[in-house]
Amino acid sequence: MGKIEWAMWANEQALASGLILLTGGIVGVAGQFRGWQFAAYAVAAGVFVCLLEYPRSKRSKGTSVERTGQYCFTVCVKSFGPLTRNYYVRAFLHAAICVPGGFMLATVLGCVCLGIASIIYFVAAIRGEHWEPILPRKESRMPVAESIKNPPQNPPPRPPAETRRKRVDDLEDAAYDNPISVTDN
Amino acid sequence: MVVSVRSWVANEGGKHLVLMLWLAANTWLFLKTFLLYSTGQQYHYLYKMLGPGLCISRASASVLNLNCSLVLLPMCRSLLTFVRGSHTVSSRKTRRLLDKSKTFHVACGVAICIFSVVHVSAHLVNVINFSVSYSDDFPALNLARYRGEVRHTHIPGVTGVLLVLILFLMFTSSSYCVRVSNYEIFWYTHNLFIVFYIILMVHMVGGALKYQTNIEAHPPGCLRANQSGAEQLGEELEQGEDEERRCREEAHFQPHYPQTWLWVSGPLCLYCAERFYRYIRSCDPVTIVTVIRHPCDVIELRMLKKNFKARPGQYIVLNCPGVSSFENHPFTLTTCPTENKETFGIHLRVVGDWTGGGKYKYMCVCLSGFSANRLVYFCQRCVFRLYVDGPFGSPSEEVFNYDVSLCVAGGIGVTPFACVLHALLDGWKGFRLQRLYFVWVCRELQSFYWFAELLCAVHHKLWQENRPDYFNLKLFISQTDNLQEKYRPLTSRLLVGRPRWKLLLDEIAKTNNNKRVGVFCCGPKGISRTLHRLCNSARSSGTTFEFNKESFS
Repeated sequence: MGKIEWAMWANEQALASGLILLTGGIVGVAGQFRGWQFAAYAVAAGVFVCLLEYPRSKRSKGTSVERTGQYCFTVCVKSFGPLTRNYYVRAFLHAAICVPGGFMLATVLGCVCLGIASIIYFVAAIRGEHWEPILPRKESRMPVAESIKNPPQNPPPRPPAETRRKRVDDLEDAAYDNPISVTDN
Repeated sequence: MVVSVRSWVANEGGKHLVLMLWLAANTWLFLKTFLLYSTGQQYHYLYKMLGPGLCISRASASVLNLNCSLVLLPMCRSLLTFVRGSHTVSSRKTRRLLDKSKTFHVACGVAICIFSVVHVSAHLVNVINFSVSYSDDFPALNLARYRGEVRHTHIPGVTGVLLVLILFLMFTSSSYCVRVSNYEIFWYTHNLFIVFYIILMVHMVGGALKYQTNIEAHPPGCLRANQSGAEQLGEELEQGEDEERRCREEAHFQPHYPQTWLWVSGPLCLYCAERFYRYIRSCDPVTIVTVIRHPCDVIELRMLKKNFKARPGQYIVLNCPGVSSFENHPFTLTTCPTENKETFGIHLRVVGDWTGGGKYKYMCVCLSGFSANRLVYFCQRCVFRLYVDGPFGSPSEEVFNYDVSLCVAGGIGVTPFACVLHALLDGWKGFRLQRLYFVWVCRELQSFYWFAELLCAVHHKLWQENRPDYFNLKLFISQTDNLQEKYRPLTSRLLVGRPRWKLLLDEIAKTNNNKRVGVFCCGPKGISRTLHRLCNSARSSGTTFEFNKESFS
């Protein structure tokens, strides 16, 4: 199967679960369901999970594609150091966050989805993956090609003077006289 | 860059027309169902109980039915290849629409996700309303068993949760990042679609929403036996009218039969038949005739299979059971079988070396053509048994259907055009194509050796047959090196640095006034985006550039 990066999939799942939790919470609060306090909690938890999961991690091998505008989120998440770097912490955090969502119908889907994401993060952590921030790389200037600095010293080669001389005695033939033969290159 | 209306219509018009039609169909279906449930007589009592949540949930359900049936159709690749190749669809415009089949599939998928969210939210509100507005007048209409019960353990509820979970798994693993880095996760989760469809078809069993069956006998809003007309509005009513407005019967309610199967079974059967056909077709193992090593870690596999026919530009899907029974990887054909030669070939990029020891040597093969990052382990000895599925159509088949074509290849993206060049080598006179511009951009010099002989052979043949202007070749690299002596036609056409696309297109436009030029791009996104933009921009020479892209996963 090759080296699968589980964390990347878990990240997509956690982001989607955060949105599902948020939507379920909004519906629960707006509809004033019984137990709407859980829905209010789900709104806050959903926003938190989205903010935490928005910055993508740098891939260990290959090019990493960042999400639009993720740089400020990367800086915030990076500042927590080992808490956000380690995927065991994330797995347990998501498992803990998702539990209160299970007590209300509107947020139960968000709870299950976040639970699945937490399991995948656990698998990623067991395989030794960790979160790396994607930081902008300083572009090094390309060195100017050598050939520009050394113009040619000699003029281009020309055929000898006899063939170059104008054939005034035979003007018609001279018009089609090619000093260099034509090839297909 | 000014966008020219004519170029834009030529390039984007068809796609946007189909998009508008699809959006119109969805909107019409949504509104029709919404109005049916909000104004229909048979839903009068249900609507009074549940409110707009009923209409939104049913309207989104019908849109979901439509999209779940449409989403399968663009994935019937053999069918699309047949339509493309048989010229039953004779217009090139319609064939170009087939290039966008994957985009349409994604659009339907996104619509399914969005409307699932709407549908689930509306049903959550319905469940609460069922419990809050528990109806004592019409007990058969209720979902809840007693007032205040929030009931969710019924078939639609449980199947609904399962459906959302499967959709969640499928959706999260189909983002671009996950597909590019771990294709297997995408492939295995996406094949859960069959479970999704089976559960979808039983989703409405034991329906929670009921409609009234006896509208004539019991018009909604009629007076019940224990009510009298005088209670209404305090007006004096005549005896006759009072009688008329009385209900002759109690209201009878019946749940809907599941209707999803009507929408979904056709495309599902078609898709299953297609998969079965592809499985049968790929049952014969292919014989590997030669393995040729090329510079820059590329090997060429020449294979032989009975009854295999392909056109230039098509791709095949390879399956190696020694590696994995379920994984299939697409490769563009670089040589097609002809009357003289029955072998067909593909080019693979090899990552790493032959490792391991003893009887089995394993090689990591990084696949070229479609996604450069998928890895397949090949076993050298006995299990070099390969199964080939295909061929499938691609946009590059249209190269011969234009008068003038421009083929732009980036690195290993030259593979579809290699097949085109082989076809030209066999006989260039029979095609509509009168001139071919070929631009190949590579990072390293060694990459050009993959097809250097082929390019020189085509050039020499056309020179001998007195059509030197048929094939115009431009090669670009970013390093300053020199090709070997024997490839002189290429050395003089080798330019250092990235191509300047605007100048190139202007030059082609000037020499081909008032013509339609087909632009075929197979390379990195940067190149294809720039070319696409340039093809849409205004041109004074009246030339229209039609952009066709071969997509990388």
